[in-house]
Amino acid sequence: MITVRAEYHARFREITTVAEETLQLEQPLVAELARLLTQKYGPRMEALLIDPDTKDLNNKGTLFLDSKGRRISIDDTLEDGEVISFMVGIAGGSGVQESGR
Amino acid sequence: MTEQTQKELANGALWLRPDEDIPNVPKKLFALQNLCTDCKICEVACSLIHSPDGELNPVWTRLKITHVPQVATRVNKDGLGFMVAICHHCANPPPCAVACPTDAFYYDPVTYAAIIDQDKCIQCMECVPACPFDTVYVAPTGEVLKCDLCGGDPACVKACATRPDKLNVGKQYPRLPVLFYEEKATFSTILRRSPEAKDEVGLMEALLKQGKVSSAA
Amino acid sequence: MERGLLRVNLTTGEIKKETIPHAMFERWVGGSGINDWLLWEHFLRHDPMCDPRGPDNIFIFGVGPLAGTGSGIGVKGRLTFKSPCYKIFGDSAGGGQFPYAIRFTGYDYIAVTGKAPKPVYLHICNDEVTICDAGHLWGKGSIETHALLRQELGDYPAEVHTLTIGQAGENQVGIAGVASDGWRIYARGGGGAVMGSKNLKAIAVQGNKGIKVHNPLGMLRWADGFRQKLDANEAGYGFKRRGTLGAVELYQRIGGNFWRNNQGSLFRGEEVRSDNWVKKFHKYSEVCSADCYIACDGRYKIEGHESPRAQHYVGETFRHPEYLVTAGSAGAMDVRDWADVAHIGRVTNDYGIDIQDASCAISFIMELWQRGLLSAREVEELFDKPLIPEWGDMDAIEEMLASLAYQKNLFGRMFRDGAYWGALALSQKKGENLVKYAIYGKGGASFTEELRPFPTWMNNMAVASRGADHLKGIGLIEKFQRKDLSNAYFGRPEAGDPSIPDLKGASTAILENRVALINSYGVCIFHWLLDPLGYAPESYYGQAYAEVTGIDKSQEERLRDGERICNLEKAFNSRLGMRREHDIICERWMYEPCPEGPYKGRVAADMFEQVLDEYYEWRGWDKRTGLQTRSKLEELGLAEVAEVLAAEGALIDDRPGRARAVHVTTPTVGNEKVAT
Repeated sequence: MITVRAEYHARFREITTVAEETLQLEQPLVAELARLLTQKYGPRMEALLIDPDTKDLNNKGTLFLDSKGRRISIDDTLEDGEVISFMVGIAGGSGVQESGR
Repeated sequence: MTEQTQKELANGALWLRPDEDIPNVPKKLFALQNLCTDCKICEVACSLIHSPDGELNPVWTRLKITHVPQVATRVNKDGLGFMVAICHHCANPPPCAVACPTDAFYYDPVTYAAIIDQDKCIQCMECVPACPFDTVYVAPTGEVLKCDLCGGDPACVKACATRPDKLNVGKQYPRLPVLFYEEKATFSTILRRSPEAKDEVGLMEALLKQGKVSSAA
Repeated sequence: MERGLLRVNLTTGEIKKETIPHAMFERWVGGSGINDWLLWEHFLRHDPMCDPRGPDNIFIFGVGPLAGTGSGIGVKGRLTFKSPCYKIFGDSAGGGQFPYAIRFTGYDYIAVTGKAPKPVYLHICNDEVTICDAGHLWGKGSIETHALLRQELGDYPAEVHTLTIGQAGENQVGIAGVASDGWRIYARGGGGAVMGSKNLKAIAVQGNKGIKVHNPLGMLRWADGFRQKLDANEAGYGFKRRGTLGAVELYQRIGGNFWRNNQGSLFRGEEVRSDNWVKKFHKYSEVCSADCYIACDGRYKIEGHESPRAQHYVGETFRHPEYLVTAGSAGAMDVRDWADVAHIGRVTNDYGIDIQDASCAISFIMELWQRGLLSAREVEELFDKPLIPEWGDMDAIEEMLASLAYQKNLFGRMFRDGAYWGALALSQKKGENLVKYAIYGKGGASFTEELRPFPTWMNNMAVASRGADHLKGIGLIEKFQRKDLSNAYFGRPEAGDPSIPDLKGASTAILENRVALINSYGVCIFHWLLDPLGYAPESYYGQAYAEVTGIDKSQEERLRDGERICNLEKAFNSRLGMRREHDIICERWMYEPCPEGPYKGRVAADMFEQVLDEYYEWRGWDKRTGLQTRSKLEELGLAEVAEVLAAEGALIDDRPGRARAVHVTTPTVGNEKVAT
């Protein structure tokens, strides 16, 4: 069991409606994180997160970075306390009213 | 509808007769105006279909993007900016057809869109001011231009891409284009919704209920 | 495919209406490619060493055949000229409505030479072309000029669209750009100064003639297919909202933001983030370029409560800031309030001046002030008044921008061509080397991003034909760590790893060819940039080009076209004396370690030469001199260009029997995967 922090930007933030959250993962795997988020946020998140052709994390205009600024992929492992940023390459701005504000 | 009328409709030979039982238009164009961003691709598509020799030229379109700075909505307090001025395919009977002195209008047998027979049209342009939406246009050659719904597969609707869900009022609406070709509802655009119609189902709700678009969840 | 070319000689007032024949499109594609050829031809008849502010310079506008044909990939016009600030090949791009509107006059290309005896504007109204008096417009900013022209020219035969210069262009400020509809700007390279030096205040167009499309139904079918692909791309959809603003957060995460003249790699303060802009400021409609599905543009109007500084700008309305406006303001000059950033964007567009070059000139002075290298007395001498060039101080910034635009003092005059030339002049005046604090790459062009960790980008800054710039080489493979793209293009992943030099020069070389194609089609780079081998590869655009023009080619042939265009731009620079030793980046970029962020400590010099070598290899150019070879030019069907270069000692003659046989096979990439 590890704990990671997810930071959401732009389109991701519109889907989650929060800027960041702490998540518990049964296994220290990116695949586990992806599964958890898809379950929690549904098909819109899945479409952004997973490339349907390669089954890897979506590469096209999205960017998933670990705390060292490296792009992660579906096969990677995660360390306890890792911070993952969910970004859309260039587009920005979340226009949706966020919960808790 | 009489059997005679049906036959004439079927072979496209029906001319407008205001005292006859003309059927309502089953499907018509709708526009979510506050999503329009002035890309003008609807004009391009319309002109590629309708202009002589398939030339690209907005003078041949049967719809136009107009700038409407004065109309405010709760989304854009200082006005929309852009609006697509479409034919609203009025029925029973459309005012453009009523104004015509030579009975040049007839109904397309598939879509029931009122169309101008250019052989009968004398280009008097009485139909132009008769249109309550100002969407009967005139080409530089004098030809009067009327939307014909492209025979049932409107090019402008296909050309209009889905738009960002700008209606950030607490709900996440599904992605929607500006232009739709849908069954007749009680009003044609959000702009035209009268205060009295507040209990009627809005276009988005109707589309959601019919499963034509999926919700954001 | 045939389109009109308008040649205007402002000295004599002569207007010639010509046709660009089909064969030109087959060879040069359109847009950028045809503009480049017109430039090349002009300077066969005129001295390329001429003063770019003189009457012998040429100002070319062109828009490619795909623009506005319903493709949904946007429109981009192209300006081409000899650059007054960088002194080399100059071009810049702009979108909006102008490149679409002008096509209905029948003239896709305009070439202006000479100089008018007094301020004029060009009015193109279908076939009627008039040189009109612009005395009443001179002295006004782009926004007001556009409004006045709209009013006086009326709405028939169509709405008026304009290219205008503001005060910066009028005063021949080298870094002046050309505004479009008073709203967007062709910022780079000094096109505004070229117009200003010709006394050309504006070009106003109105047209209602048709554009012939080779296969209209084919074009509609292509657009249908493209639309479906786009709608299926969730991330591409996200890009539809806010243009390039999301780069703020992304670069903040990867240490790619430029701060205080690049002394840092991260913005300070929490306010300037794209989410804050969208939530607090973005209340107006979203706006498109013509023929674009993205709608990345938007209009704001300040009400006064959005941020602490918003009350200074109540009622001000303009288009939302893009990333580079933000980088120039919040980054280079350390402005910490969105309202100030937006205001700077408006001011620079209205003056008609490039924000990157202007902000680096200003931040250079601010850094000298910070380090105590400029005394208050010296600053007063530069500005003819006391000034405190403190980071983020809007009063100082407004004064300094006005100094540049109006050329009203020593600072304005010294820095009119950007930070490099200003630093040089100031160094000479003070007798000490201050150039080491200036930010610039090739040609002395400034760029406001932290690039030291990114070898492809550092390479872009050193080799781009129009001076330091990212929009020729586009280092997206490396910055977005796209090992998948590297595999697709090169068969191995190294181009996607910023920590090693491998395949970085190669990335620049192959992407420059593709970008040249897109710039020649007349469309916007953004879809391709997001997903170059997915829903929007340039080969797919080539299919749309075939529907519009009837010119169908294999992907290999198209890439060859792109390579030909890049080589023509290079050839022009070679004529101007550009060699390898001019493919440089400034001292701070080259030798200072990256100060912060995940790539802290990286030094560009460690990889720079190796990457540059690789770029020349992949280009098939000589590594020692940077010059092209005869065999490369002949391979591209440019034997006549080779002759010109050979006569001027700007060519490596590698014919058999001659010294130095240089033969590099240009790698071709076929069968790109297109998402279905």
